[in-house]
Amino acid sequence: MGAILRYFKDIGLGLWNLFVGLSVTTKYFLTMKVNTQQYPEERLPLPARSRSMIKLIYDGEKDQFNCVACMMCAKACPNSCIKLEGVRMPDGKRRMTTFKLDFSTCIFCGYCVEACGFDALTFVSEEYENSVYKRGSLLQDEHAMKWARPAHLAPKPEEAAPVAAGASAGA
Amino acid sequence: MITGEQILKTVSGLLHQGLAAAGVSFLAPVVDRVAAAVAMFLGISVFVMFLVWMERKVSAHMQSRIGPNRVGIFGLLQTVADAIKLTIKEDIKPVKRDKVPYYIAPIIAFVATFMGMVVIPFDRGVSVQDLNIGILYVIAITGFTVIAILSAGWSSNNKFALLGGFRSAAQIVSYEVPLVLSVIPIIMVTGTLNLSAIVEYQAAHGYWFTNPLYAIPVLVSFLIFITSATAEANRAPFDIPEAESELIGGFHTEYSGVKFAMFFLGEYIAVIVSASVAVTVFLGGWLPPLPMLGFIPGFVWFMVKLVVVIYFVMAFRWTFPRLRVDQLMAFGWKVLIPIAILNLLLMGVVELFLAKGA
Repeated sequence: MGAILRYFKDIGLGLWNLFVGLSVTTKYFLTMKVNTQQYPEERLPLPARSRSMIKLIYDGEKDQFNCVACMMCAKACPNSCIKLEGVRMPDGKRRMTTFKLDFSTCIFCGYCVEACGFDALTFVSEEYENSVYKRGSLLQDEHAMKWARPAHLAPKPEEAAPVAAGASAGA
Repeated sequence: MITGEQILKTVSGLLHQGLAAAGVSFLAPVVDRVAAAVAMFLGISVFVMFLVWMERKVSAHMQSRIGPNRVGIFGLLQTVADAIKLTIKEDIKPVKRDKVPYYIAPIIAFVATFMGMVVIPFDRGVSVQDLNIGILYVIAITGFTVIAILSAGWSSNNKFALLGGFRSAAQIVSYEVPLVLSVIPIIMVTGTLNLSAIVEYQAAHGYWFTNPLYAIPVLVSFLIFITSATAEANRAPFDIPEAESELIGGFHTEYSGVKFAMFFLGEYIAVIVSASVAVTVFLGGWLPPLPMLGFIPGFVWFMVKLVVVIYFVMAFRWTFPRLRVDQLMAFGWKVLIPIAILNLLLMGVVELFLAKGA
């Protein structure tokens, strides 16, 4: 008798479980909640500090790049994909003249950005569609990498302080 | 009020007039059948395309996705694009195939299920052939698919295809039994195998589920029927003959292009046929759900009920995990068949002592 009862109990339990499963999927079907992002038409906002592309910061007020061609980034680069040259200006300060970064060998490790003591290199978040048709297009110079920092991304005073300290220590 | 029968009479009347004008009115019976077959084929093809789209949309929304939305409005033409792609595909064939069964299998798979549509009454008086053994005919003719699947599996000369064919044979033979047993209680009450006569019985005596005597046995019958019909159509959670994670594609592993499309079409037509029988036998076919809604033609109600039943078959596929082979056999023989027989007994008791005595 017990076995027969268990048989029917199992069937009832199984039916109940199937019903629970169906109710879950039916709920999702009826609410029509959509998590898909239609990529080319819709884009999710990326976090401000996500690492999409490396850019050279251009200072619009002084009409020059922040880079002083100290070569720290080129030395830090594990793949030696950064090549740059600089000159000494009449006022005694060094300025970068040419800057080349080969993105076909760059691994986006970020060592160059970390090594930069003059707030000249940075990661930007919005330019993440970097496919090209020819490998040569990945070799970018300072014109391609020119990037003026928008006001809302300007370093806060407490963040800017260590950079200034590092700059003075390096000078 | 317009009914399906009037439309049918008008169309066939025009056909017969045309034939009489051409002086070949003795061809009328043949032309009737051919016209019905062509109309069925076109209608079913379009409906299958809609169902494939619907299945993709249903599954998408159950998984918080969007589904097809690029080709046509709401992606409705996606299936048309898929069909064009399938028909112009290269037909890749195994070299060491068994040629005759290899070619015949997809044809049987399609024709056997398509033939099942012959007796389905879409409206009062609207069916290709109103056979007096309708249910028997449907169950018998759709059982032919096992031959198609087994010969496809055997002739492909591929171990996965062969395993799929064997599994399918075991499965369809096992689930044919509860399928038949689940319909018998209805036949016991109505006393006929004719599908439209069963609907007329419901028209005269009210829906099964509104009658407190019949509600429970008919509900059990309905659940068993839907379960076995899902298994008969090789759909998940009973899709072990083509279980893609175990057998690649099962019996249709070695088929491509149009031949694969025919298997695919056959699977969907099998779903349509079983759902049509379920609607006709258990849910009152073309009858409106409420008498006051009778101004809407019967075939519309039939299609609405059909789509609702097919929605549930789709929901099963995207909700339940696939059964293992031994679980499938145990479920068929140890659960469905005993319950179906008990249900038969219950219905007999109800019919003999309660319904007739009252």
